[in-house]
Amino acid sequence: MSPALLELQGVTKRFGGLAALGGLDLQVDDGEIVSVIGPNGAGKSTMFNVITGLYAPDGGNVVFRGLSLVGRPPNQIVKLGIARTFQTVHLFPNMTVLENAMVGQHSRTKGRVLATIVRTPGVREEERVIRQRATEALDFFGARLSGYRQDQPAFVLSYANRRRLEIARALATQPQLLLLDEPTAGMNPTETLELRDHIKRIRDQLGVTVLVIEHDMRVVKGVSDRVIACDYGRKISEGTYDEVASDERVIEAYLGRRHEEIG
Amino acid sequence: MNRAAFVRAVKGGLLGGVGVIYFALVGMIERLDTLSIVGSVELSWLLILGPPFIAAYVLARPRVEAGEMRSASASRALWSGGIVGLVSWGLVAIGVGLVQWIGIDTVRSVFRSVSPTLIQILTLHHPVWPGILYLAPIVVLGALAGGALPLLPRRVRRPIITASGVVLLLGLLQQLVPPALDQLHIQRNWLYSNVTLGLSWIGAIVAFAVTFAITWFLQDRSLRDLVAGGPGARDRPGAEARVRTVLLVGWLALGAVLLAMPYLVGPVVARDLGFVGIYLLLGLGLNIVVGYAGLLDLGYVAFFSVGAYTTAVLTGGQLNTYKGLAAPILGAHLNFFLAIPIVVLVAALIGVAIGAPVLRLRGDYLAIVTLGFGEIARVIFGSTWAKNLFGGSAGMTHITDAAIGGYSFRTELHFYYLALGFCALAAFVSWRLQGSRIGRAWNAMREDEQVAEAMGISTIRYKLLAFAMGGAVGSLGGALFAVSIGSLTIASFTIFVSITALAIIILGGMGSIPGVVVGALILIGLPGVLTPLQDYQLLIYGAVLIVIMILRPQGLVPNVRRSRELHEEEVQQDAWMRPVEEGEVPVARGIEA
Repeated sequence: MSPALLELQGVTKRFGGLAALGGLDLQVDDGEIVSVIGPNGAGKSTMFNVITGLYAPDGGNVVFRGLSLVGRPPNQIVKLGIARTFQTVHLFPNMTVLENAMVGQHSRTKGRVLATIVRTPGVREEERVIRQRATEALDFFGARLSGYRQDQPAFVLSYANRRRLEIARALATQPQLLLLDEPTAGMNPTETLELRDHIKRIRDQLGVTVLVIEHDMRVVKGVSDRVIACDYGRKISEGTYDEVASDERVIEAYLGRRHEEIG
Repeated sequence: MNRAAFVRAVKGGLLGGVGVIYFALVGMIERLDTLSIVGSVELSWLLILGPPFIAAYVLARPRVEAGEMRSASASRALWSGGIVGLVSWGLVAIGVGLVQWIGIDTVRSVFRSVSPTLIQILTLHHPVWPGILYLAPIVVLGALAGGALPLLPRRVRRPIITASGVVLLLGLLQQLVPPALDQLHIQRNWLYSNVTLGLSWIGAIVAFAVTFAITWFLQDRSLRDLVAGGPGARDRPGAEARVRTVLLVGWLALGAVLLAMPYLVGPVVARDLGFVGIYLLLGLGLNIVVGYAGLLDLGYVAFFSVGAYTTAVLTGGQLNTYKGLAAPILGAHLNFFLAIPIVVLVAALIGVAIGAPVLRLRGDYLAIVTLGFGEIARVIFGSTWAKNLFGGSAGMTHITDAAIGGYSFRTELHFYYLALGFCALAAFVSWRLQGSRIGRAWNAMREDEQVAEAMGISTIRYKLLAFAMGGAVGSLGGALFAVSIGSLTIASFTIFVSITALAIIILGGMGSIPGVVVGALILIGLPGVLTPLQDYQLLIYGAVLIVIMILRPQGLVPNVRRSRELHEEEVQQDAWMRPVEEGEVPVARGIEA
């Protein structure tokens, strides 16, 4: 068996006395779509923040393609091939849609200072490539973010389009692994189903491995090769959607135990 | 008009009145009464009518209520304008009445500026009673104009504002434009009056009409379309080449005007323009740090002094000691232009050194720490500890002139060209950086530092780069300053330099290169050609900053994106009050929601 693309080994993260992650083990293989579910406060977003370097873990290790990510700044982790979206939309609202996506290309390009000032042929070519790749990333969502919308500031976009742009910006970093934090939160049912198909296409067409936190079970069921359920910062169940959905521990985490069982 | 609006109007009127009284008490009204703008209307009237006008304008402007922009109705705007005018006038009248009652000599023993002339101005050179009554309709009309301005459709309002601004500017430049026109052998008697020295009424009307017509014609059309031959013609074959030709011609024309400038305006103004150049460099540099990267630096004077002192040491400046002149240790006798690359490099390194310890700080904290760095720089350059290097409090002198093969740059005319060259270089560098991958990274960092980092931008690297580039550009200003007068003392490197540079970019518009140019011309250039204003320079800075922050926070010539930011914040502040529409999800902030 080839080593996993991403592996979390007993990762812990405490905020004061609260253990947001209590020794989390998790593994994502190349080419998979893995969903992470769990009730609010289960530590799912904390896990993303630890993987992408926004938080330093208190213990354990995060290994990506055989390299430990612990201690690396977020921008390095992007460069290694992990991109993410945020639970609440975090665009650069006053930059245009295209510029937002162009920022995604940052880690794949050089742009030296002196060469930029002189605007050497190399810099011009690079700028052309940045623009082209950003446009490609936007075109992934069909007409939603293309055409005249490219030159609009991001804050005029509809809520669903902001979500899409965030994904496009992440795709523009040319990642191997994409972390999506509740990508369908706040979307209406049509948009949700559309996005479900997009998540599949991200893997099938672009070959990007996806790790997704999601609450909408139709999406989880529709996209996941594997589902991981968390609670209190620990993995409580893992397997196919049906296995996890019928796991008693998962039901208990969401709904609690029957009164007579406790008594 | 409801009660709340009435109360607001009265408050506005009181503020307007206080403004007028303030201008009167500091002596500005009397001082500027000698300066005619149009016909026999003096600049002092701008101070008498300005505060009520602005108060009425602010009251009638569309305001953000419950997350939505709402404009005032016409009747409400005009009513509140009228009330503002009356109340303002009332306050001024009470003031004049009090002076009469107490006796002008008694008042004068405290408020030196309350002179018979001042009272005469406020009573239109009539006896106090009924003269003060004659002031009422004028003030009310001024306030009504302020209230009516926001009611006009945008298409009309903007040309009116621009045209009024141009007329005012032409009036203010009365010592500058007529001689230039004479040099060009252009008849100018119709434009400027020989008696009042200000604009003639005909000249003012023509200037207003011409500017109005041009602005009217150009608005909502892109120049690019016009040049290409009508809307939508941009994509036709050959259009791009045509646009490029016209742009090139435009730049060449601008360059020709700038090159001819000292001969048109004479050496005195040329010296002022050279001084504007020094501050323009500071503005452009600070614009990189604050405008592009969003790092509020209040100690920018550090780079100014580093540039000046490094230049002095490298180009053979001498120390003033009690035993006479002495060469500084580490001193060199380089040609100015050979020294400049070293100066820039040193300043960039200092930028990194200042930037490194403050990498984790943001906003207010960063501002305070950089403020400290500015003072540290001043103290070091003036210290006895570094006396053998920088001359301590006595400073340095005999700094070699920037010369290329005997062509001196110290005369007014030549110094202007040196400053022009440096400014052009700095503007070019700023422009190239702004539109590049680096500029985008700074932008992203300014908008959301954490997300920028999570998108692959090394915020550490780009913060340091901003400090280094900003420092390098600012040090050019210091270098110019050093060679312009040939001697330095620590007295020139106070916090006022930082404040002035910041005021320039706030006035012009953060992140906007044309904005910085306009800001430097207004704040540094205008007092130079308007001698009566010089006494009030700092007062005017303060007033300008307040007015700009309230009325036009994006600056006079804004950067598009920056003005979006400010507007967006304004709406978002109150957005929570707006009823949430069905199916809409409120967008919260904070990564861990």
